Amino acid sequence: MPHLDLSRRKFLAAAAALGIAAAVRPLRQAQAAMMETTVGKDRGWFAGGKLRYRRDGMAKVTGSKVFSIDVRARDIEGWPDSQSHALTFHLPRTDRIFRGLDLSLLRPDLEPDVLIDAERLQQDGVAMPQSDFYGDFFLAPGAVPPMLGQPVAIGIWHDYERYRAARKKLQFVDGIFLWGEAAGSSARAPYGAARYVRIGGDDPRGADRFSPMKDLVVWPQTDDRGVHWPGPDDADFGEAMRHSADLRASMDDPPEGWRVFARNYRSQSVDPAAMETENGLGWYQPEQGRLNVVGATQSPYTVAHHLLEMMSASRLAFSQLEFVTGYTVGYGQKEHQSFPYYVAIAALYAEGRPVRVVLDRWKHFQFALKRHPFDIRTAFAVDAEGRFQIMTCDMTGDGGGVKNFSPSVGTVAVTAAQSIYYLPSSDLSVQMLPSVNVTAGSMRGYGTLQSMATTEMLVDEIASEMQIDAIELRLRNVIRSGMKNTQGAVPSGHLRAAEMLELAAGDPMWTGRHERKAAFEAENPGMVHGTGFAAVQKDFGTGAEAAVVQLEVTREGRLKMRHVASEIGCGSTTSQLLVVQSHLGRPADEVEFSVQDWPQMPLHTEDEPYTTTQEDEDRFAQDPRWVPRFTSPRSASNSAYYFTHASQQAARLLLRLTLWPAARSIWSGGESGGQMLPEPVEFEDLAWRDGMLTARSMQPLSLERLAAHAHARGMITGVCVHTFNRWAWAEADFEIGGDRFRAAIDALSVKWGEAADDATKARMTDGGYAFQPRVQVHYPPVQRNNAGTVYYAPCATLIELAVETGSGKVHVLSHKTWLECGTQIVPELVSGQLQGGVAMGIGHALYEELPLGPEGPGNGTWNFSRYHLPRASEVAVWSQTGHVLPPLNDADPPKGMAEVVMIPVAGACANAIAHATGHRFREFPISAARIQEVL
Amino acid sequence: MAGRINFTASINGQQVGPLDLPEDLMMVELLQEYLNLTGTRLSCGQGVCSACAIIVDDPEGGSRTVPACITGVAWLNGKTVRTIEGIAGRDEQGDPVPSPVQQAFLDHFSFQCSYCTPGFVNAATVLVERLERAPIPVEDVEDAILKALDPHICRCTGYVRYYQAVRDVILSTPGLTIGTVAAAERPA
Repeated sequence: MPHLDLSRRKFLAAAAALGIAAAVRPLRQAQAAMMETTVGKDRGWFAGGKLRYRRDGMAKVTGSKVFSIDVRARDIEGWPDSQSHALTFHLPRTDRIFRGLDLSLLRPDLEPDVLIDAERLQQDGVAMPQSDFYGDFFLAPGAVPPMLGQPVAIGIWHDYERYRAARKKLQFVDGIFLWGEAAGSSARAPYGAARYVRIGGDDPRGADRFSPMKDLVVWPQTDDRGVHWPGPDDADFGEAMRHSADLRASMDDPPEGWRVFARNYRSQSVDPAAMETENGLGWYQPEQGRLNVVGATQSPYTVAHHLLEMMSASRLAFSQLEFVTGYTVGYGQKEHQSFPYYVAIAALYAEGRPVRVVLDRWKHFQFALKRHPFDIRTAFAVDAEGRFQIMTCDMTGDGGGVKNFSPSVGTVAVTAAQSIYYLPSSDLSVQMLPSVNVTAGSMRGYGTLQSMATTEMLVDEIASEMQIDAIELRLRNVIRSGMKNTQGAVPSGHLRAAEMLELAAGDPMWTGRHERKAAFEAENPGMVHGTGFAAVQKDFGTGAEAAVVQLEVTREGRLKMRHVASEIGCGSTTSQLLVVQSHLGRPADEVEFSVQDWPQMPLHTEDEPYTTTQEDEDRFAQDPRWVPRFTSPRSASNSAYYFTHASQQAARLLLRLTLWPAARSIWSGGESGGQMLPEPVEFEDLAWRDGMLTARSMQPLSLERLAAHAHARGMITGVCVHTFNRWAWAEADFEIGGDRFRAAIDALSVKWGEAADDATKARMTDGGYAFQPRVQVHYPPVQRNNAGTVYYAPCATLIELAVETGSGKVHVLSHKTWLECGTQIVPELVSGQLQGGVAMGIGHALYEELPLGPEGPGNGTWNFSRYHLPRASEVAVWSQTGHVLPPLNDADPPKGMAEVVMIPVAGACANAIAHATGHRFREFPISAARIQEVL
Repeated sequence: MAGRINFTASINGQQVGPLDLPEDLMMVELLQEYLNLTGTRLSCGQGVCSACAIIVDDPEGGSRTVPACITGVAWLNGKTVRTIEGIAGRDEQGDPVPSPVQQAFLDHFSFQCSYCTPGFVNAATVLVERLERAPIPVEDVEDAILKALDPHICRCTGYVRYYQAVRDVILSTPGLTIGTVAAAERPA
């Protein structure tokens, strides 16, 4: 499954087993005082009860060191003042046997001081951790390269000027690689394959006849001859395969009145193009057996854990690991990538010096993770009323040279192919194949851009063929609240895609599209005009989302928060501070993000939430310190919903366990039961007004007064919560001081105030907190893993564009996007994500493409000069609008929306170009050259 | 190895040098590896993305940005340069006081990851300074911003909030435009 990050507990347990002292910490803590960033120090971001700018804004806008790539050895406390520099060598071809590296063009004075290759690693017993997932470090001479861009060595130079001179001599010189006879790549087994079959019942909200949720997902056997789908008599999967065959037969021979539309699509290979390239800084101190690595990654614990694994079999001294993470950006490109391990091995061989490894843009193109290209065949059977009856979709993805996340990208992609529609029956298959291309991995959208955009292109074509308004056709088929998705799961909450369709249907850009086209073309000879629409809904989260949040109030009434959230640009470290306001009357005053050390939450886990059996989970869960997962990485648009839930649970419990008892104590103080005696005040009556806690006619109380009261009486003053979601929230019962309550968390620790008695204080042994064993817990059943998803954010885009008939060049004239994401925490951040997503989607639709094979990025000659990223002038920067639907109510939770916003615009571009040119393009990108060819 | 030059320049108001440097050294290398000024961000290394744009001040020709990744120290020898580290002021406590462009980027939530932000700050700063010398009609402001900032790639934001911020700075700063604001306002 996607987006796994290991827990601190598992990491520390692994370190302890190896006898290693290990730590993961954010960059900020590692920097010397002179280099401290202003993140967290600037107080101006929140003033007068209002958010003024991003919490990290001042540091970023003034060019402070916030990224890993900004860091040099001199910036880190306790490190030497300078570092060596390393260069990676990547093979540009795969059609011959690799014979070795020839660096003789470097005169002796420019030769690397150190050269690390496969032989050297083998001698020292250093191997890539999880090599089936990441690939091998280096190819040894005598073997055929498994992929373009395969590394074969790292050179290290101890001074910058020799390094840069050598790099300059070596750049683009393929002659340094020695080749033997021609050879082909050997056949390899697919990375993964799956099939999701659903036969719904008569009621879209009723019982299914067959579905993954009710029954199972088909997981076929694979080997180097390909995918072997089970037969109709297969003991496990036979029923699913029989349903599949029946649906295919119906598509081939549809009932009277039905029409079948089947089309082939292709979505290209794309580079996420994070502006910060792969980089890292390492320092190995052999005398102390200490390995220090500064890395850029979205999954720090996984990297740290795998570094332990990498070193575990080596003969090199190893007793301490320190892994430091800075801010980074990747859109998935820096999640579970192999590059941090190359930084580590450079450090191991740098002769006791710190060493910096940075890929230049050409090498970043050559080696960094890509978006999967897919071949997609999608078909709909549609009845005479324009209602979809059957959908089939068969996707084949190219995973490139190494498996990485290809299997889960495939399953997420194909289960999203349904887009916003209810399908009575569906048969969706996917296979993810290896190739010699640069490895594809996680990227914003996680396969759903490819599947949903093409579904939206087919739906538009069906509408045209059936002469039904394209939005009207969508309205007839849109999934509505309570209906099941193609996995047979009921999506969470009220589904509002139909609301967006209604808005778009009435928009002048849509209703006047034919008149606008005629008028534009009359005024602009040589150009054609088109309007296009698409609507999708995207899941968020991974089906195993865990988080930890600590929240406490000081005697002075200051709110202090510690959080697992880290910053990858989306603004989560800003938003998480704010979401406690509804329960506590104001944002947290002090906060520590990217917290890796949680003695307050003494839990353990196998971290196998997707594969644990129900029987095992029931047994494990009896231990109140067991959880299915400790924490999740920053990915899958998970902060807005899942992290917010954790923050708000902590805030709610601080209100319930601290402020409510303190308020009751104040209001009922004095003789005769105080002011509260005549009033039936309940917890539910609490409300914040102008920063004061109120309830019915009670005297408003400030947080400062409540905090002082709670501390003075030794009440609870801090909570630490752990949360878990498997397409539903875990809930548990707790009992503190005779007060039994249930909360949507699965673990809780508390601390008491300063005046607590000695016996109470003696219980606070867990990082100053006292762990509260749950009385009982209710985890969502493991069968919910088959749901694929239940949390969706819908998004729709309407775009108008013009096409130059001579050149095929597309001009985006304007666009309008509707988004539903529950309650916006920070509307400015939502809007920024929306605008950025639309731009990235336009790039996918019109511009970005990497060729596969030897002409592609694996040959080391690609950069932004040939890979066009959309500029402001190409995204209608002055003439675009975004509309966020108002939340259903004040408690409508925020939804993850960072991925969905880039998807509908891709389909809308294709549909608009069809409207403009009369031609249905079915291959992305729809470049000027492709349009010109047709026109 | 390449020949050497004796390099001096004014960088952010400080005299730098003389330094003995390789004559083919790029400015971004000098800033990052020799001066530890890493706010100038390297991304493409071929002068395409403008992430590394720095300001070169010419008392006669005015200021302009150049891509530090392909601009050699040899060309910049003796010149006056500003980088992102030199744009904000400092208050009495030493805390940054953002320039009007930086403040507008903060107010508009213009950036996300911020890797490209220094380049946008510098380009917008040069634009504002140019308009101080040669104001333009209000109705030309959006085109002028597009022309000045279009070479800059941002992968996160979709550009809108950068552009709106710069427009606000230009329209709210006396003397940069000719005409009335209302005439040029458009919904965005």
